[in-house]
Amino acid sequence: MTAVTIELNGVKISDDVEPRQTLADFVRDRCGLTATHLGCEHGACGACTVVLDGEATRSCLSLAVMCDGRSVLTLEGLRTDPVMDVLRRHFHESHALQCGFCTPGMLMMARDILQRLPCPEDMTVRHELSGQICRCTGYANIVKAIVAAGQELGGRNLVDRAPADPADAAAFDSEGM
Amino acid sequence: MAVHSPSDGWIGTSLLRKEDARHLLGHGMFIADIRVPGLQEIAFVRSQMAHARVRQITVPADAAGGVFTLADLGPLNILEAGPELAAHRHSPYPALADERVRYVGQPIAACLKPTRAEAEDLADQVGLELEELPAIVDCVKAMNPGSPRVFDQWPDNAFISSTVKEGEPDTLAAAPIRLRRQLRMNRQATVSLECRGSLAYWDYRNDELVVYLSTQGGHVARRGLAQALGLPEHKLRVIAPDVGGGFGGKNRMMPEDIAVAAIAMKVGHPVRWIEDRREHLMASVHARDHFYDLTISAEADGTLLGVEGEVYIDAGAYSLWPTGSFMEASMASRNLTGPYRIRHLNLKTFTVATNKAPMGPYRGVARPGACFAIERLVDEVARELGREPFDLRRQNIVTAAEMPYQTAAGMRLDTGDYIAALDLARDMINLPAIRERQLRGESDGRAIGLGFAFYTEQSGHGQVEWVKRKSRVVPGYESANARMLPDGTVIIHVGTQNHGQGHETTLSQIAAHELTIDPSRISVRYGDTATTPFGFGTFASRTIVFAGGAVARASRTLGEKIQRIGAHLLQADVANTRLEAGAVHGPSGSVSFAEIAQAANIRQEHLPTGLDPLLDVTATYEPKETGGVFSYGTHAVVVAVEPDTGSVEILDYAVSEDCGTMINPMIVDGQVQGGIAQGIGTALYEEIPYDEMGQPLATTFGDYMVPCAPEIPTVRMGHLVTPALATEYGVKGLGEGGAIAPPAAIANAVADAFRHIGASFNETPLTPRRVSEAIDRARRAKRAVA
Amino acid sequence: MKAAPFEYVRAKTVAEASVLLGRKGVTTAAIAGGQSLVPMLGLRVALIDLLVDISRLEDLKVVTRTPDSVWLGALTTHAAIEDGLTPDAFGGLMRRIASQISYRAVRNRGTIGGSVALADPAADWPCCLIALDASVRIVGRNGVRVERVADFIQGQYETTLATGDIIMGFDIPAPAGRLRWGFAKVTRKSGAFAHSMAIATMRGKDGPAAVVLGAAGPHPRRLEATTGMLGLGESSEEQLRPAIAADLESHFADQDAYQKRMHTATILRAVREMRTQ
Repeated sequence: MTAVTIELNGVKISDDVEPRQTLADFVRDRCGLTATHLGCEHGACGACTVVLDGEATRSCLSLAVMCDGRSVLTLEGLRTDPVMDVLRRHFHESHALQCGFCTPGMLMMARDILQRLPCPEDMTVRHELSGQICRCTGYANIVKAIVAAGQELGGRNLVDRAPADPADAAAFDSEGM
Repeated sequence: MAVHSPSDGWIGTSLLRKEDARHLLGHGMFIADIRVPGLQEIAFVRSQMAHARVRQITVPADAAGGVFTLADLGPLNILEAGPELAAHRHSPYPALADERVRYVGQPIAACLKPTRAEAEDLADQVGLELEELPAIVDCVKAMNPGSPRVFDQWPDNAFISSTVKEGEPDTLAAAPIRLRRQLRMNRQATVSLECRGSLAYWDYRNDELVVYLSTQGGHVARRGLAQALGLPEHKLRVIAPDVGGGFGGKNRMMPEDIAVAAIAMKVGHPVRWIEDRREHLMASVHARDHFYDLTISAEADGTLLGVEGEVYIDAGAYSLWPTGSFMEASMASRNLTGPYRIRHLNLKTFTVATNKAPMGPYRGVARPGACFAIERLVDEVARELGREPFDLRRQNIVTAAEMPYQTAAGMRLDTGDYIAALDLARDMINLPAIRERQLRGESDGRAIGLGFAFYTEQSGHGQVEWVKRKSRVVPGYESANARMLPDGTVIIHVGTQNHGQGHETTLSQIAAHELTIDPSRISVRYGDTATTPFGFGTFASRTIVFAGGAVARASRTLGEKIQRIGAHLLQADVANTRLEAGAVHGPSGSVSFAEIAQAANIRQEHLPTGLDPLLDVTATYEPKETGGVFSYGTHAVVVAVEPDTGSVEILDYAVSEDCGTMINPMIVDGQVQGGIAQGIGTALYEEIPYDEMGQPLATTFGDYMVPCAPEIPTVRMGHLVTPALATEYGVKGLGEGGAIAPPAAIANAVADAFRHIGASFNETPLTPRRVSEAIDRARRAKRAVA
Repeated sequence: MKAAPFEYVRAKTVAEASVLLGRKGVTTAAIAGGQSLVPMLGLRVALIDLLVDISRLEDLKVVTRTPDSVWLGALTTHAAIEDGLTPDAFGGLMRRIASQISYRAVRNRGTIGGSVALADPAADWPCCLIALDASVRIVGRNGVRVERVADFIQGQYETTLATGDIIMGFDIPAPAGRLRWGFAKVTRKSGAFAHSMAIATMRGKDGPAAVVLGAAGPHPRRLEATTGMLGLGESSEEQLRPAIAADLESHFADQDAYQKRMHTATILRAVREMRTQ
């Protein structure tokens, strides 16, 4: 057993975990937060998507021990998040869920998309949803909801990942040296 | 009397769904989410061989009480599965393997530990000595005399063989056009995103076994479990939590479910098994796996005459209770006339046992295979005659004037305008423009193809149809209990099982329509045998017809009593009153449902003399005609195919569809789009191949391709509405139609792209390899002739 | 699908990691992003005694640009490359390749070092780094060594990594002048493993070229005949086909007719794209 401290939805949780325990199982079984679902346990379906240190992450592919000192956000922790609020409303209005099992992972990934890409278009959203499996909806309404949410947010929700300015990256470019 | 016309109020409204709230907040309660004190987890030891004698199971010494074999489960009954036909052979399917295993993944032992990880550790320590036997993996070869047997006592490997002979098929031999083709739809899994699972414990207070089951039908599951366990049904409660998709894969009794329940009774504390994805792909319901060797006959003018040949179903190693898988063969053969005036059939069907996981129902059930076969054959006839395939369909399709039309196979196509559906799809896809584009050629070297497929979807079929199929469980009706509480709000309990179809919303729309109250004042509940009236669950696109009808009936009866009480309170004649906006209105005023319900529940002194208290009605419902009502439509697909790599891109997908009256058009569209996504999966992506030892070669999503958003286009939909005559509001079920036609439409489109070289595409999924090899073969053949 | 038990230690230095991984009689594995390893542990196809966490070793995160080269530390994630957070001397080739690896959530964690160490035949970075003539620096019990990635990867899941070796990172020569490139990949669905992968590069208008085919055999290979044809100027696709066929025969002879057609198409697509730049 290894001691870990993980900040989960803003609350620091300290516990001893088996090294083999995935972050998904830690969140679900140890912390009782079951919004994060297991659809495959090998990283191919996206139902387990959480945010780890600000980055979308498949929690079934992460070990809890490796998240010591890190921060994790699950859907439960985004209850009052303004971006998630807009997404939820559009998912509802666009009939973007049927059985609901893929929905938490879809919402987590959708939020990540809208934080990186302003007003993404249909094809962009589809590409970004690669590897998020839904078996019920056929994706059309999910894409529609995310595009609509992106339009409504108008790029206000972007989160910086330096360097955001391509000019900075160009400083590394061969031309610049 | 409650006034209702089809087009006003809640019928036809795209009401946003009630069930969304909990899922959007992450508060869905699926089987793996349930927390029960003292719960322990089960991992199964499964066979790694397709066919073997179980010689020895060695349990580690320190695992006392933690490993269960069949003998440790206590006395269990083997369920008799399959149609009630003497000719259908019995395939005893024990909850844990006895002396034989018959497919890779068959559960042999169950390991119980506080956590799943520890249970898997224990499972790794269980020793298994299996003596390998020859694996039967080819369902056609399995029917050769002298083939090794899956069941030693059977004379051959067929669960059942049958013949479907209609009209005068002997006349077909003289037909000017006779084309023989072999078509195959390969094996796949159902792949609900939530795998299966069950949780069981003995409830000492109620003296009953409680089983939480991710199921599509708890009442029928209770019956099966009770029979297997030898428990009286009143001591067994089945509860479905939120179910994350079923599609047919959660509607049969599976060995793990019996094992979990039996273990719970032995250990006296809660136990649970959650299926993982590898188990699901290996050992859950398998589907499709049809092989057709068919000859279609036609006149020179394109009139389709008949279909002859053989239909093989690779049914896997056991029949699943209650139905077995004979319906694959019978539905496939009976749908081989398609929507056409084909009057002659001569089909031999073989439902064959093999050393693979048992076959079960999956969205569309047999019809995707039959539709694939007949629609490909129609295109082949068209090609032979140099005709536009669309025109050949139009020429042969049953018309509105001929409705109701009894097909040669005995299906009564009830209402519809099939020509209008064809034309609408043709116009949406813009057939002439595609033909022009094909002449121009593509700058990227790809070939453009256009394919059509027409489907009919028998839905809401009841007694007559299920009795015809010799079902041991006849889902010929549904039930609803409607109860008005003292404050005038309503709870409705139904016997069906919502698992993504929006029934909480649509059924409340029906009740709201009948009762003239807002759907927000109505709760629809389901999924608990303790609280719901007996019903059969959700499958076969039955819910809106059956549960919708039951809800309508119960609501109407409730409304009648409400009206009587209201009239009494208004001191008016019932005939001079009406229900409107949640109140009873009379000549002198109105009285709210809340006042009425208060009287009926807690102030009975206000009730008319002789009228019993309570507003609580249980009703059953079956449609006037129980042979089924038929949704239908046309799928039209444009593809671009890269000949060397064989990769197929869907450029456009248009559908015309008619499911009669739509209670909630938004939900209808969602079902069509979702069904098509699964149909595209069958057409292009999903397959579980087997090697000659019976090893499945796709056991994770690394090998089993499930299409995602980039692979599935947004389908353009056009709706026709031809109400059914036999159902409430004229509704028809529609949940499966989307999944039926895509393999046919897409294969026809790919074939169309290579029409000039005569390449044939008669096997799904149309993987890039299969497509490229078919093109290559055809090119070589053409060069050889030249 | 839960992993079998194992011990865990987070290495504080590269040297410590090397010692831990090199322990005799103990089956060890290093974990960086874990995107490949964790599922293998869950499926119990990888069974280990000790997991050594190297994911926080700052020495493996260094990223630098010199006039002659780009250095990418082994722990550089696919997402960092995709997002342009790392130096790009290759005209955007690495950004494009990164953006098509698996799924975004996997790219946030998966690393270039992990990809090359695993040497999955269908992986993207080995193919790319071979095309760019990159070298890999390895630290182990016997000190530091530098090898060409093309020599480092020896077969399917086979590299020259010995027990206790750790990849420090990759030295990628920066082409003088503009790099034109084309990249083509065939997958069964978005984000899935490649069944065919080709990279074509050329320095300037008719500078040195490289064509590499991956996901076709145990490891990616430079296609010398095809590369040679490209270097001869504007050869047509019909002229390229025999060279491609010769290369496939030399290095990927066990591919069947379909696979050869597919690889040929992929290579031509990559060349086509390169020529549009």
